[in-house]
Amino acid sequence: MTALAAAAAWLQPVLLTVLTLRVAGGHAEAPWLVLGALVAPLVALLAPARRPAGPNPVATAAAATTVTLVLAADLVVAGDAAALLGVAPWHGVALAAALVLLVPLLPAARRITAPALVLAAVALLLPLGAVALRTGVAPWTAWSHGGLRPALTFPEASGWVRDGERFARDMRLTFTEGQRVTALTEGLYRVVERDAAPPTVREWRLAAGDALTLRPGDELTVEAGARMRFDPGRRMPGMPVTGMAWADAPARGPAMLPGALGALITLVGGALALVPATRRGGLAAAAGPLALMTAVSAAVGWGVYAAAAAPDLALGGSPLAPLVRLPPRALGPAPGGVLATLVVAAFVVLLLAAAVALRGRLAAIGGGRPALWPAAVVLAAALTVWSPDPWRLLLLALGLAAAVWTPALLASGRSAAITGSGVGAVVFVALAGLPLVAPGAAAGLDTLVRYPALVAMPLAWAVVRALGEGVGTPGRPARPAAR
Amino acid sequence: MSVPRRRRAALAALLVLLVGAPLLALAPAAPGAIRVAGVSLLWWYVGIVAPLLATAITVTALVRGDG
Repeated sequence: MTALAAAAAWLQPVLLTVLTLRVAGGHAEAPWLVLGALVAPLVALLAPARRPAGPNPVATAAAATTVTLVLAADLVVAGDAAALLGVAPWHGVALAAALVLLVPLLPAARRITAPALVLAAVALLLPLGAVALRTGVAPWTAWSHGGLRPALTFPEASGWVRDGERFARDMRLTFTEGQRVTALTEGLYRVVERDAAPPTVREWRLAAGDALTLRPGDELTVEAGARMRFDPGRRMPGMPVTGMAWADAPARGPAMLPGALGALITLVGGALALVPATRRGGLAAAAGPLALMTAVSAAVGWGVYAAAAAPDLALGGSPLAPLVRLPPRALGPAPGGVLATLVVAAFVVLLLAAAVALRGRLAAIGGGRPALWPAAVVLAAALTVWSPDPWRLLLLALGLAAAVWTPALLASGRSAAITGSGVGAVVFVALAGLPLVAPGAAAGLDTLVRYPALVAMPLAWAVVRALGEGVGTPGRPARPAAR
Repeated sequence: MSVPRRRRAALAALLVLLVGAPLLALAPAAPGAIRVAGVSLLWWYVGIVAPLLATAITVTALVRGDG
């Protein structure tokens, strides 16, 4: 396997689209997530190459779960894509699941992964270049424009104003000014009024076309799938108040450092499991890092241009919305529609390339059991029924891989690998499952609950090293080299 | 420099680059918020400088690798 084919396992549609959404929405964690998304697979490409240290049922179970969760996150994005195109989300999930199930089984699938990845990266950059040329604005100028907005308000051209848009996830929207919103789907809408202590909670069952008046400070809870329409010229709820707040998130401060380290350890640890090391030298080896940089930079670029030209695209929580809706907004319906189709095609190719790579990783650790792949795809499709947050799924997958799979790959003896994986698994499951068994304790350990790998991975590694079979010691190598 | 040593040096450099982002973003007095040519120092770092350096370091280590 070349560095380029190894990179395919990392360039998941969910990773790139959520990065775009995070940048467009001015998320406080966006800067280090962007850098982590690029550097983590580069670290994995350079890490010592090793071979499996014998069967490890704990690591195999973690690998199968990781692959299932990553696929589920990708399929949720496919469902969002279908909703953006005007069809039911399950159509997108079913189509993507069928492709993911069957395409990796084709004899030529592994051979075309690398060129397909290059094509997809170029296809992501082309529409972005067209938007940049059409608007005549360089990326850094777009960032500067986005950061200078006096207020983030709904423009007349916004889909939220004209026909209303759909919320892809459950959302809590805080209103900074009074405004009237119109529900376009029947459902339960909960409003927390914070103008008096204690806050008042009101629940409204609205029919399609009913309006709701909200005051400054009110918090509206919207269920996934609900459609709403807003008035033009009003501030966007749940988004940064100004361009300055988008550029320098007010929540960003020293208290976020443990969370930032948790995110980076999760990304790097997950990449060490998903992205095989490469030992091949020569100029061809440059293609992998260059493809990673191109794809991640494209994701950031889309986020920056969306924030500058149409920040409302980040409101509904659909990771694909900024990428699919920006070209028609910036270039007009006809050329924009063609470019949006190109973007969707690029993500389909990325999904298939990632599926081929993931199947290879699963086969490497699962001993080539043919039932593992179809089981993972079917389970992943089933998980999308609950419309989970795709980013949460991806973080869980990468965290589990970091805590259980990676220590097993970096140990050189079987007993150390199994013990390390076991310790990582116990700590990871205990922390990730804490909100279910002890919600009060989970609130106090928020960072560890969000990033269990922050503790689980170092502990698992410490166990591996304590058993005297850790990284760099002589013995049978464990992390498989890319072939 | 031997290949393993070159790779270890490259890995260390990548990790230093990676940790630079939260440090720049979260340090007291927010040095990452300083604007240079209209863009914050933090976004110059995570969007341009660190990605280019990280890619160059990795490419150099891989191209002059074992193969």
